[in-house]
Amino acid sequence: MPATSQELHFLAISELAARIQSKKLSPVDLAKHFLDRSEKLGPRFNAYARLTPELALEQAEAAQKEIARGHYRGPLHGIPYAAKDLLATKGMPTTWGAKPYADQVFDYDAAVIEHLRRVGAVLIGKAAMIELAGGMGYRYASASLQGEAKNPWNTQCWTCGSSSGSGAVVAAGLAAFAIGTETWGSIVCPSSFCGVSGLRPTYGRVSRFGAMSLCFSLDKIGPMCRTADDCARVFSAIAGHDIRDRGTVPIDKAAFTFSPSLDLKARPLKIGWLTNAWKQVDPEVERVSKAAHATIRKLFAGTRDTTLPTGPWEEAASFIVAVECAASFRDLIRSGRVSELNDSLGQIAGYVNQELPASDYLQALKIRQILQKKMDKVFETYDVLVAPTLPVTASALDANIENIFSGGDPFGAIGNLCGFPALSVPCGFTSKNLPVGLNFVAKAGDDLAVIIAARTFQQHTDFHRRHPKL
Amino acid sequence: MPNHKFSRRDFARRVALASAATLVPASVLTNPDLAPTAARQFAPNAPPLPPASQTEADARTQSILAQYGSRLSDQQKTEIARLSNNQQRQLDILRAYSVQNGDDPALYLKPLMEREKKPAPTNPAATSTAKPAQAAPAPAAPKPKS
Repeated sequence: MPATSQELHFLAISELAARIQSKKLSPVDLAKHFLDRSEKLGPRFNAYARLTPELALEQAEAAQKEIARGHYRGPLHGIPYAAKDLLATKGMPTTWGAKPYADQVFDYDAAVIEHLRRVGAVLIGKAAMIELAGGMGYRYASASLQGEAKNPWNTQCWTCGSSSGSGAVVAAGLAAFAIGTETWGSIVCPSSFCGVSGLRPTYGRVSRFGAMSLCFSLDKIGPMCRTADDCARVFSAIAGHDIRDRGTVPIDKAAFTFSPSLDLKARPLKIGWLTNAWKQVDPEVERVSKAAHATIRKLFAGTRDTTLPTGPWEEAASFIVAVECAASFRDLIRSGRVSELNDSLGQIAGYVNQELPASDYLQALKIRQILQKKMDKVFETYDVLVAPTLPVTASALDANIENIFSGGDPFGAIGNLCGFPALSVPCGFTSKNLPVGLNFVAKAGDDLAVIIAARTFQQHTDFHRRHPKL
Repeated sequence: MPNHKFSRRDFARRVALASAATLVPASVLTNPDLAPTAARQFAPNAPPLPPASQTEADARTQSILAQYGSRLSDQQKTEIARLSNNQQRQLDILRAYSVQNGDDPALYLKPLMEREKKPAPTNPAATSTAKPAQAAPAPAAPKPKS
């Protein structure tokens, strides 16, 4: 039987925050609890690039003093978290998961780290990740400076990437939440494989200042948590316009306010269940997702089956990723230091991507614009589109990723090409006790819709309360 | 009627191929068909590329080998040929998709947000008075054929 969420390290942010605010739980004790657990269990999963105990205790003590003085900053005050190791943290290594950057140290914090410090969150470590967030291509889970991230539900399985450590951290209860990033699938895939709730915000709502740039027109930063509700809390702390990131949307469209007392029925959502999100679905995932479909139909009146428009969306997304990534790592490729990457594909794919013609890149961007308009029409009928996050469950650690994901990912391509928000939550388990994810996607800017939909789903299910027995 | 003339681009490509020949794995040199054959070995279900596409993919491979061949193993060179072929398949699909001259590229992704859309005109008369009286009719916006 899986563990329950009654243990301190599996409590949701809202529950931890209530205890901290009422002074029943000390931020210092909480930080020590998570640090001890991370030291003990982190290596088992290759979850961390590094722990930051000194910083964590300093921040936790500051939080404790402030709260004792009556200055409570809000629901993240004193809450321990981990940040993917591509977010700059002043004065300590930020490795981007890759050997050529193993000793890289920034003298400033990423915007997300700043935001979380401002609300009193406690950074306990930098989460491991796939090298360069997978931008150079990779075939194996071992494509990481920290080694293969092992799934807390089954350590013979992978967590998915590229926010591999973030998934392991949250699933194993090593921190209350983690920050991940997604260019194409890197938040929702680990969330699905690890049975956690992960929010990929609308493109441009969270500043990427101080984050490794992979693909400037696709990179997003978002929270990975225990619940959709927690995702909303963290998102409201990190969302906002930033003049240092030209990709951020204007002030009034970037900011996000979340009220936990939100009446979920106040906004009836029109749900479209996608029947062509995946070409082939694993029979066990199919079984679980059928049950989830029935739940969705029960919860949202008028849920209808629908389909995504067909077109070369995956090709366009792949092409844009390839070209932008080659531009981001031009110096690394030209210097030959790509040979230091772990993955044999990552060592050479940059050379191929550098040769792609600019006119074809523009063709892909034209197709992207056409797709945006097509999807705008879809969202005239539906508020939220829903489908299994992935057609498979966590893959074996030594599996070749090219074989696992050979069936394509049109939903992921469309969502990321258009900058749509997505929230993946666990919706069941296979007979081998591996989690299955359900993905909610809305139009750009309507992050609230995916939060409401996922929150409603979680209020009527308990999959998010199940945790691996460690 | 087939055109046997070489364009300047074709000529340049052939020169590039010739100049890069020393960087190509020996196995490829002995059999000019081996690069695509090797690629098919890695992707057994992929159909062969059309000849023009294969030429383009090979030219990109040779360009890479000309620049970086000295730092690549034979296995990596063969793998690069396979990746170039795979990229070419994507390119062919992208190019086949119909876009119009007036379709804008999403040069910097701007998500389409509800509040940014122009409000639909509610009063046709008001809309028409907003235009200059003698304005020439605006050309119809090109629509994507998709």
